[in-house]
Amino acid sequence: MTDPTKRKHGDASDGALHLGSPLARVDGDRKVRGEAAYALDAAPAGLAHGVLVRGTIGAGTVLSVDAASARQSPGVLMVFTPFDTPVLGAPDSFLDGTPGEGPFHVFPASILHWGQAVAAVIAETRQQAETAAALLRIDYAPGDVVPSILSKDAGPGVPVGAVDIDRGDAEAALAGSVFRVEATYETPREYHVPIEPHGAVAWWEGDRLTVREPSQWIDAMARTYAGWFGIPFENVRLISHFVGGGFGSKVTAMTHGAVAALAARELGRPVKVAVTRAQNFTAHGGRAATRQTLRLGADADGRLKAIVQDGESETSVFVPFVEQLNAATSVMYDVPNLRSRQRLVHVNTVTPAHMRAPGKHPSAFGLESAIDELAHLAGIDPVELRLRNEAGFNPQTGQPWSSRRLREALVEGARRFGWKDRPAAPRSMRDADGAFLGWGVAAGLFPALDHFGEAGLRVDADGSIEVLSAGIDMGTGTYTILAQAAADALGVLPGDVTVRLGDSELPSGPLAGNSLLAGVMTGLVHKAAAAMRETIIGLALTEQGSPFRGSELNTLDITRGRIHPTLDEGRAVPIADLLKAIGRDRIERIEDNFPAGTSAQERHRIMTTVAGLRPPDGGVSSVASWCAHFVEVKVDEDFGTVRVRRVVSGFDCGRLYNPHLAASQFRGGIVMGIGQALLEGGRVDPRDGRIVNDNLGDYLIPTNADIPDIEVFSVGEPDFRAAPMGGKPVGEIGIVGVAPAICNAVFHATGQRIRRLPLDIAALLSTN
Amino acid sequence: MRSADTPFVRSAARTDLDLHLRVNGRSHRIRAEARETLLDVLRERLGLFGTKKGCDHGQCGACTVLVDGRRVLSCLTLAAQAEHGAVTTVEGMVEHPVGRLVQAAFVAEDGLQCGYCTPGQIVSATACILEGAATSDEAIREAMSGNLCRCGAYPNIVAAVRSAAAVVERR
Amino acid sequence: MNRLAYLRASSLEEAKQALALPGSIALAGGTTVVDLAKLGAMKPDLLVDIGGLAGLDAVRVDAGRLHIGALARMADVSRNADVLRLAPAIAESIERAASGQIRNMATIGGNILQRTRCAYFRDASTYAACNRRTPGSGCAAIGGVTPNHAILGATDACMATYPGDLAIVLAALDATVHTDMRDVALVDLFAEAGSGRETVLADDEIITAVSVAADAGAARSSYLKLRDRQSYEFAAVSVALAVDLTGNGPQIRVAVGGVATKPWRLPSVEAVLRAGPPTRARIAEAAATAAGDARSTPDNHFKIRLLTRTLERALLTALDLS
Repeated sequence: MTDPTKRKHGDASDGALHLGSPLARVDGDRKVRGEAAYALDAAPAGLAHGVLVRGTIGAGTVLSVDAASARQSPGVLMVFTPFDTPVLGAPDSFLDGTPGEGPFHVFPASILHWGQAVAAVIAETRQQAETAAALLRIDYAPGDVVPSILSKDAGPGVPVGAVDIDRGDAEAALAGSVFRVEATYETPREYHVPIEPHGAVAWWEGDRLTVREPSQWIDAMARTYAGWFGIPFENVRLISHFVGGGFGSKVTAMTHGAVAALAARELGRPVKVAVTRAQNFTAHGGRAATRQTLRLGADADGRLKAIVQDGESETSVFVPFVEQLNAATSVMYDVPNLRSRQRLVHVNTVTPAHMRAPGKHPSAFGLESAIDELAHLAGIDPVELRLRNEAGFNPQTGQPWSSRRLREALVEGARRFGWKDRPAAPRSMRDADGAFLGWGVAAGLFPALDHFGEAGLRVDADGSIEVLSAGIDMGTGTYTILAQAAADALGVLPGDVTVRLGDSELPSGPLAGNSLLAGVMTGLVHKAAAAMRETIIGLALTEQGSPFRGSELNTLDITRGRIHPTLDEGRAVPIADLLKAIGRDRIERIEDNFPAGTSAQERHRIMTTVAGLRPPDGGVSSVASWCAHFVEVKVDEDFGTVRVRRVVSGFDCGRLYNPHLAASQFRGGIVMGIGQALLEGGRVDPRDGRIVNDNLGDYLIPTNADIPDIEVFSVGEPDFRAAPMGGKPVGEIGIVGVAPAICNAVFHATGQRIRRLPLDIAALLSTN
Repeated sequence: MRSADTPFVRSAARTDLDLHLRVNGRSHRIRAEARETLLDVLRERLGLFGTKKGCDHGQCGACTVLVDGRRVLSCLTLAAQAEHGAVTTVEGMVEHPVGRLVQAAFVAEDGLQCGYCTPGQIVSATACILEGAATSDEAIREAMSGNLCRCGAYPNIVAAVRSAAAVVERR
Repeated sequence: MNRLAYLRASSLEEAKQALALPGSIALAGGTTVVDLAKLGAMKPDLLVDIGGLAGLDAVRVDAGRLHIGALARMADVSRNADVLRLAPAIAESIERAASGQIRNMATIGGNILQRTRCAYFRDASTYAACNRRTPGSGCAAIGGVTPNHAILGATDACMATYPGDLAIVLAALDATVHTDMRDVALVDLFAEAGSGRETVLADDEIITAVSVAADAGAARSSYLKLRDRQSYEFAAVSVALAVDLTGNGPQIRVAVGGVATKPWRLPSVEAVLRAGPPTRARIAEAAATAAGDARSTPDNHFKIRLLTRTLERALLTALDLS
């Protein structure tokens, strides 16, 4: 894909040199050489190794743990069980129900889901710890298990209430509609499956704790550790220089980190706890399974009159986690009448978690499938139907959009894809070998959130320029775009800037979630670098020793790292030379976007809890990214096999800070979407709730061979109401709408409508 | 051991081994348990953390290394099995004539995001080119399917392998 | 993995001495043994590394038979010119099996002996009941999640699927497994599912080679594998054919994988195909008999339809009728 790099929209249209240009990933060299240090690559002297032990019942109680043999096993240093593990402190909760509501019992005797951690063994080597772990004799009193939302005894669930919507009179409008569709759509449990499993390395120096752990939110995690161990927030150092994929799974501190830190404290030496791949399916939740019935009503022209939605999502028996099923339904199209209800079905599972485009993905799967069903029923082209229902403003809130270029994405996508040649009727396109071909379309959105933060900038007399932030880069490109943002505002080259991230000792960074970090941090770094530039120019004009002192110039310019009189680069002095000349070793600036007068206590609260998340643009306009996916599939109807042959996707994400890296994120979202559509789903044992396919050979994520060419393009224009530097969310939008586009294409190919994911061989063969 | 009552077995079977490993052209003498995998020995005993553990069961490819020039999974190879081979890890790729080209191509084509699967991808792509498997995009996709990437960099990985293979071809 | 001993055998005799000890097991490529030992589904006391034994990795043609050494690596066999010429389905099945890395490691003997992927077999810590692991302990898969389980050969004792690809082709080609003690037909190598033994081999018996007749059927052999993922996945259904068109009417041998507890020949299908000219109607009739003895669960019921269709397609393609 070269399109985003070539388009005018979304590039350096505000005059910036570097932000908006397709710079190669600045941390790329370290990553291809194996030099990027991930958390578990830490090996402090004296390291001991811990392993977690999973319970093997779906519900009940641990009656006893006989650890005698385990303690005698060679190399064993410590065994933690429900009956001899110190109770940790009670950090304030930053998300409902995560560890922190009350004292934290690391290994509760009460078992609420299969695979819940019940013990840990610490030994000199991991192998020794594993051997000892296998020697534990754990006695359970099993209880009744409700394994999943599909279980007969799961019941109808309880109303959520908070996310319900009543807009107009949906039932009446539906009854009066010319075209009506009704269908139920289901998505299974999906798992983040970052290739880097979770884990932590922890050590203490006095009452100061250092934890190396992959983290999407350094400060919030550090806050939990501080609460667990009863130490000041400042005494926790959390380091996460590189994160091997997160997708929402690495936001909160978890049992493995608690065990590492606790054992390190008890033993007085560093401890590593690596979560195994299998444990990653139960140590934290994936995306909740969902089910929704949609009823759509439209007039003779296909204009939506009403949507009625009744949905359920799965959660644990102990936390009411909501996978919001009307996230797309409520704002995607101009629907005057909408009634939406959601219920939570509590089952014996680990609490689900946010996963790339939470809510938006399952919501769009239902809505964008139903829109396709409506288009077919009404005999209207599905692109045209979407264009007819474009919403001029946010139909749920009444706010104007800060920008919405979904129309452009649909129209340009259709052009690039060749959509005009699509025969309307299903089963009318075949490949040379006789297999059916189908073309499908679906749209997606990702509503933006804003957050607070700080950015540091440091210029040294040795010539180094550093951007400093506790924000992280999990492959999203933070290292690169912050170098670009700093370079523009300071007047240097991106290659001159070193970006330091992922360390709680650095200026406070926002959550790397909800696709908000890039927007927040580019703005803050721009602000800090611009302030630094003014500082340097001011010093150059006034300080003793500066060659520009007394030059009667009003201002100076900085170009490629050299200070010079405006329009006269002949008398340029490198920044480092100036610092030496005026006798300064280092200049530092930290800028933030806190409201004026925010107390230190309040800053801490909004940087370490969800309290800091807020609507962009002060809530004046509604900010979201938009996309349209066009997909061609080949279906072998005899076998029920589906192959995605090509994808063309258009995005409105405002200005792209780095089109090269944004394109990678778009494609990555689409790849995950292909996995969701065709392959992925947790399989739950109907007796004990065990995730049977808790490994990468059975929980199938796409391989390289599953992915075709993916053309992505940008129709975005800088949107300064969305973020200071004009961008909108990039990281998650790509996944939204992929699964329905594929299912719609399969319907076009075969006439078969698949409403339950994944669309695998078994699903297609069950109906033909 | 239950009963090593056969003299030969009693003398030869070992639970702890003195191993001589050759990694990236360097010799290492280490003492390790027989059950330790090459992956664990590389990381925990030799401090070569470039090779990554993604699944520990041969299902993701993050731990791919070369043994005698062939790509293998270090998580399913016991260190003892590697004793007679020359091991090349991602740290050795910068000295490898093809590996170096592959590294540059991955950066240029952005064939990575989080970077965690990348060491395995680099080693695997190098071997894939040397195997002569990089003959078409479709062949590259199949040959690289033993290396999972959850960030979904696959199209860029294919572009990187294609471009590195073309450079190798020209030489 | 439990603490265990390791021994590198330098001769067949050394290996046999070591393998005679209870608790010992042969280690070649390691792709099955190391995996299962880490899971605790296998707890050997001694790994006898036979990977260094000389002379067991050759591919040769001798007296009209293609011999493949037990220690030949899968990748080397799939690229071997004699294999590609004389029995292309062997190469085809290997190319479709596992990943490039695993094919570089795994040996032919080890690949044939690979163990089932049944989740209940693999998770020994949760499910004590597994007749494969512990004869007589029962079968936890009954009532569990079973989309990948067998529809052919499944009993109350075991319904775990034989996961391999190569052995399906070898079954179709009437392969002989050569050990240091005897020759065994490949289809007779595997013990009854859930009997407590995987194979009929003695503990210290070592596979040295596998061979197939380099006949017309082998030369026109094919392998069709279906799965959800395009690569790096075990078969939902696979079909191996050996089609001999040199005589009066085609002689067709058929074996299927992904659906059975062991490499599975389909004599009923072969019989229908032998009964007359290979018309589309006869092929359909033959394919329809494939699942005659099938026993399915709600999870794997789709495999009955899939087996029939895959078989039909494979036959039509092999006979140029598609």
